[in-house]
Amino acid sequence: MQNVKRVATGIPGLDAMLNGGFLPRTANLVEGAPGTGKSTLGMQYIYEGVRRDEPGIILTFEEFPEQYYRDAEAFGWDFRALERQNKLKIIMSSPEVTKADLENVEGTIQNLIAEMGAQRMLIDSITHFEGLHQDPVELRKLMYGYLNALKRQDLTLILTRESTHLFGEGLQGQLNASIQFLADTYIMLRYVEIESAVQRAIVVLKMRGSAHDSTIRQFEINAQGLKVLQAFEGQEGVLSGSPKRMSESFMKAFVRR
Amino acid sequence: MRTEDLTARVMKDMDPELFDFVTTYVDSFIKWDLLRFFYENPRTMDTGENIARYAGRTAKDVQAELQDLTRRGLLIEMPVENMRVYMLKADPEIRTRLQRFVEATQDREFRRKVIYHMVRH
Repeated sequence: MQNVKRVATGIPGLDAMLNGGFLPRTANLVEGAPGTGKSTLGMQYIYEGVRRDEPGIILTFEEFPEQYYRDAEAFGWDFRALERQNKLKIIMSSPEVTKADLENVEGTIQNLIAEMGAQRMLIDSITHFEGLHQDPVELRKLMYGYLNALKRQDLTLILTRESTHLFGEGLQGQLNASIQFLADTYIMLRYVEIESAVQRAIVVLKMRGSAHDSTIRQFEINAQGLKVLQAFEGQEGVLSGSPKRMSESFMKAFVRR
Repeated sequence: MRTEDLTARVMKDMDPELFDFVTTYVDSFIKWDLLRFFYENPRTMDTGENIARYAGRTAKDVQAELQDLTRRGLLIEMPVENMRVYMLKADPEIRTRLQRFVEATQDREFRRKVIYHMVRH
């Protein structure tokens, strides 16, 4: 698996964490609280694809395309122009319609993927699927079919999912357990409070079929998009949202050797 | 003065292509909203109920107008499972005409004429 061509995200630092990028034809989950940068990460992934001549589609539920045009513009990515060049398409729809469309032979989305030669897709966000089924088993079956229908089209996907808690553990909802199993990669974005300042943390919790860096790293969103920085050193409990400094004796014994 | 004369007088300065677009597609405020919505979100593919929610209107009102815009050739309606899904027609000519209309509505005088046309309709 290590020699398979990777699908680079183009995000400085993240590709190194992913051992070069996502594996092709995989579904990759990015989960985080509002404002942590899930959509930005997804847009940057799509933009990187266009740069590499790998057209992309953004499938949005309830978020207006106008919002993506505006947000992308802030990073210098002209999504309107890319749409005109047929390198990007932003589809606004709903989970129930896209599910039914993907099950159709020659559905609209399938036709669009073929017409553009799309290789990347951002689904923003899969949280909206939770309204389709109360039963977690049925929901898992539904998501399994949905993701396979997209992978069948040779797409490498990023799925975003909202976490309800700003800090610490906040995974809730019917999709919680299912999607973590179904996703090939599971990336978590977190707010972390350190010395009275809010910072952002990123960790790759799972990457099926590949080695990956599992350290918890800081990241920032600057004028170019996301940038992954150094690991949180000398802190423990980072994912709880309120890390504590490791004791000096522990640091001496295990960290500063 | 007869109604037709008054309408003709108000609309007479309008660009013929825009005049044709307005008289073909724009006869209610909901349609105007929907035209703007599809211009801004050209790859929307959804049910009348969801489009109504996005547009902040009632499903009943929007459904009727979506069907009318479909009959007039601006939208396409597709059966997907047991749902009726609406999309903007891919025809570049229609999209260009829609763009011209939305851009023209930036002008207050043009908006006044469109409103006048809708009220008289």
